[in-house]
Amino acid sequence: MGDLDKKPVGNLGDPRLLYDYANRKVGTVPPDTTRPYFQWVSEVAYKNVHRIVARGYDTTEFVEQGYGLVDMLFVDFQARIPLIEEEKMLNYVMILTLEDGLSMPAGISRIVAKSKTFLTQACGASILAFGHAHGAYSAFGNMLIEGLRRVEQEGKTKREIALELAQEKLGDPALGVSDLMLKDPAAKRMFAQAEKLHVAGKYVAFTKEIVKAAQQVSDHPVDLDLLGATGATMMDLGFTPEAIWGILAVTRSFGAGAHAIEEIEREGMVGLGQALTPKEDYDGPEDRPVPPLGDRDKIAKPAQTYTPDEWRKALDERKKLHGSGFAIVEEIKDPSKKR
Amino acid sequence: MDREPLFRRKTAIAYKTEEKTVLRGYDLSEMAEEGYSFCDAIFVLFQGRIPTLAEEKLLKYEMGEFLEHSMSPSAASAISVISGRPNLPAAVAASIMTFGGAHGPGAAHGYMMNKYLERARVEGKSLDEMGKILVDEYMDAGEPVMGLGQPQHLDGDPRAEPTHIKQEELGLDGVYLKLQRAIEKHFYARREREGRSYVAVNMIGAGNTALSDLGFSPNAAWCVGSVCRGYSCAAHAVYTMKKGHAWAASKREPMVQMLDLSTIKYIGPEDREVPSQEERQEYARKQNESGEYEKWVI
Repeated sequence: MGDLDKKPVGNLGDPRLLYDYANRKVGTVPPDTTRPYFQWVSEVAYKNVHRIVARGYDTTEFVEQGYGLVDMLFVDFQARIPLIEEEKMLNYVMILTLEDGLSMPAGISRIVAKSKTFLTQACGASILAFGHAHGAYSAFGNMLIEGLRRVEQEGKTKREIALELAQEKLGDPALGVSDLMLKDPAAKRMFAQAEKLHVAGKYVAFTKEIVKAAQQVSDHPVDLDLLGATGATMMDLGFTPEAIWGILAVTRSFGAGAHAIEEIEREGMVGLGQALTPKEDYDGPEDRPVPPLGDRDKIAKPAQTYTPDEWRKALDERKKLHGSGFAIVEEIKDPSKKR
Repeated sequence: MDREPLFRRKTAIAYKTEEKTVLRGYDLSEMAEEGYSFCDAIFVLFQGRIPTLAEEKLLKYEMGEFLEHSMSPSAASAISVISGRPNLPAAVAASIMTFGGAHGPGAAHGYMMNKYLERARVEGKSLDEMGKILVDEYMDAGEPVMGLGQPQHLDGDPRAEPTHIKQEELGLDGVYLKLQRAIEKHFYARREREGRSYVAVNMIGAGNTALSDLGFSPNAAWCVGSVCRGYSCAAHAVYTMKKGHAWAASKREPMVQMLDLSTIKYIGPEDREVPSQEERQEYARKQNESGEYEKWVI
């Protein structure tokens, strides 16, 4: 540690700064001896030279006892051994979510693979397709939890809350009800299987209420979709919305890996600069001359606005430029809104 | 709702219509209702076939044990990424992407095995002879023999030998395990002759060998192994997200955190003044001429 005695650089002598920049200490922060040093704290797993232990179970002994992958998911995420029926049901859910044809995870995986990457990059990239529209398990599950909390705390019936949710969220990909599976019985068959195995509980029941409510308020046919079926079923298996999000994104990644492999086998690689974008697909400004650098001050329009009205006008104008980002409004927590 | 394909491809893996999703010819709902397991479906996905019961058992065993490995590079990636509180999938994706040339290089091991199996066939050598050739060629070249050694499990990965034994118990010990056993035998013998320490088989040597004998290609096997680990990394990320402090630098924690400033040990150039723009050209010229900077180039 030491001090460098030097004059302020640039604006770093400005009195509004929070401390004296010219005389800041140099060197790293000494080791913190007042607290124990960093260790990897985990409730999930540990290992030593001879053992790997998840939630108290030695994983080698675990598989030697005949347990497997699906059981292990219950151990890692819930610290418990599942009932046989629960294990069967999760197998069912995972088979249904393993493959989805040329959907987004497969598409991303294939595109990444075309750059001659490691397969793991393509598989990992496929997981990035899971957001709040495609595979919105976190949003869906938390909606169910919040809905059932309101049933308990606000004295409303499940049907009333379901109706509110349907009115508020119809068309939201996280509702679990849509027109995606009007001809495909897979989602309803999953609920039937959950009921047959006696693992369907309050989340399946509440989701059924939401389906009924959505059918009541929608002006076109809607029904339970795969997000709603898998999400509610896994919630009844005891998984949290976040765990479901992670588990099912990873499950799909096996399928995406197969797509990455097939892409390489059948379509080959693409090099930098190889792919063209036809002009007929372009609808931006017409081709125009690049102005001389010396004319910059004459032609450049500054972005700054100085009143809320000016700001609003500029914002609306900027929305017209695709790719600028102004047309996208993301939801953030709004403390001014109280239920 | 627009349900046009995102893009067009000929694919032999799956199709999806408004009525059903079909994997390699099998309706997914029908497969699940028939009682097939997720591990069965993995065989269908990568190999287009229903496995034997023994094969399904071995994959279930392998994926069950490979899923969790506590503090490994992949889990470290997941907890590091989630410290910034992105969406969970970013952390899970990062964990899988951590698998590369050192952490779980399953595809490379598979290609190595295929290459030497082909040589055994062409050169008329036994698998035992080819195992010795492989070990000698790698060690003579100063290259690590893939599938051997693990930096944490110094006496051998606790999962590895049991996986070999399980594979044999189930009668699934094909050419890959026979070659792998030969590699291990000759590797141990040569290290012993050279007075070097014992380095045991790891989970690539054991697990990838099992996957190869189960009929998975090198990349399919790598996918099975590395993606499977994504499950536990998701658990570590969710745990950190729910029970840890974002940013991993909180002074309020009783223990020094991963990103606490005091954990930084800097060994780069001494602190030095930033030259002014007027000084810049001459400063840069001298710096370039001295070449001192070159030892820092990465």
